[in-house]
Amino acid sequence: MIKTPLCELLDIEFPILQGGMAWISDAQLAAAVSNAGGLGIISSMNADENWLRQEIQTAKSLTTKPFGVNVMLMNPHVDKIAQVLIDEKVPVVTTGAGNPGKLMKLWIDAGIKVIPVVPSSGLARYSERAGATAVIAEGGESGGHVGDLATMPLVPQVCDAVSIPVIAAGGIGDGRGIAAALMLGAVGVQLGTRFLVASETNIHENYKDKIIKAKDIDTTLSGRSLGHPVRCLKTTFAKEFLKAENDPLTPKDTLEEFGRGALRIAAQEGDSKKGCFMAGQIAGLIHEKESVNEIIIKLVKETETALNGGIQWVK
Amino acid sequence: MVFEKIVEILRNYKEEPELEVTMTSSFEELELDSLDTVELVMEIEEAFDTSIEMDGTLLTIGDVVGLIEKAIA
Ligand SMILES: Cc1cc2nc3c(=O)[nH]c(=O)nc-3n(C[C@H](O)[C@H](O)[C@H](O)COP(=O)(O)O)c2cc1C
Repeated sequence: MIKTPLCELLDIEFPILQGGMAWISDAQLAAAVSNAGGLGIISSMNADENWLRQEIQTAKSLTTKPFGVNVMLMNPHVDKIAQVLIDEKVPVVTTGAGNPGKLMKLWIDAGIKVIPVVPSSGLARYSERAGATAVIAEGGESGGHVGDLATMPLVPQVCDAVSIPVIAAGGIGDGRGIAAALMLGAVGVQLGTRFLVASETNIHENYKDKIIKAKDIDTTLSGRSLGHPVRCLKTTFAKEFLKAENDPLTPKDTLEEFGRGALRIAAQEGDSKKGCFMAGQIAGLIHEKESVNEIIIKLVKETETALNGGIQWVK
Repeated sequence: MVFEKIVEILRNYKEEPELEVTMTSSFEELELDSLDTVELVMEIEEAFDTSIEMDGTLLTIGDVVGLIEKAIA
């Protein structure tokens, strides 16, 4: 059994979060993760309040366990989304892409636990000061929009910078990764890529097949020049995007337009010419499509083995 | 007074004692990305023992000076 203070804090069995993934982590996936003892997280991406309310209610019909919602602060509907979370008494909110500032206070006053994703110890300190319950220190190995620092240096520095619990994310795919994160000072982990291949994940089968086939060298960073780098598989789309990005004559707008909607196409249509298959560097470690429950049980067992094994080096 | 102190903190932060800074200098011109801005604003807040709202409207040194002046007034 793996128990950390995060379990009690979030009322979960295992300190494992399934990261919010735009177009991917819906009520089904989140409920499956929560039912398996982790914390499932619904992604609200750029959706409006009606869509989110429906999704939250679906999740509630599928699980009695707590689950969370990931909020993109750049979402044009963010104020209404914020209110839905309060009305529906969602216990946990994770935030990305921006500064939760005012919303944070609103949520905290409503009793919601707010856990921002941070790419640096400065933002972690800032989040703590603003009242965050915990922070997710996410390294650039992750799939999706990423920061510069890698998980290995980021996590211990964030742990030193704040006194609230730290959750590690980025590049964790099995129990060895979880054990390592705990050794770095984290009290929990958030995984994204590993859950892409779960049977409860509603994405195109091509997406899952590509993750299973991927090797360690098969992801790349696109969109660095736009100021928001995205880690994805090196598909035809990604290669063409990089070619356009490296051409100084390509206007930024054209590049933004090129990337727009590409994750949705990957997730729903599985088209490798037009879709952006976001995935982390750990994709190469994932060889099997399994149910969420199987994944979580395995992760916990492997973590126990890894942590118990560590003692052999202490002489 | 506030401006001068902020310039001092900024020069220290960037380790450029001669750095030219005016009220209209933007974070972008000063080559400070959003993560640097967070660090810097927190240092400034600590120096003035106050806190300000950090959101997308903080673009120039003048913006920070204005908010700090309001906060300590
Ligand atoms: C396909 C995909 C989409 C993602 N979308 C989001 C998102 O919308 N918001 C967010 O905060 N994080 C997003 N993430 C990041 C995950 O929540 C998680 O932190 C990350 O995947 C952890 O790293 P890993 O992929 O190495 O496990 C996404 C990740 C992936 C793989």
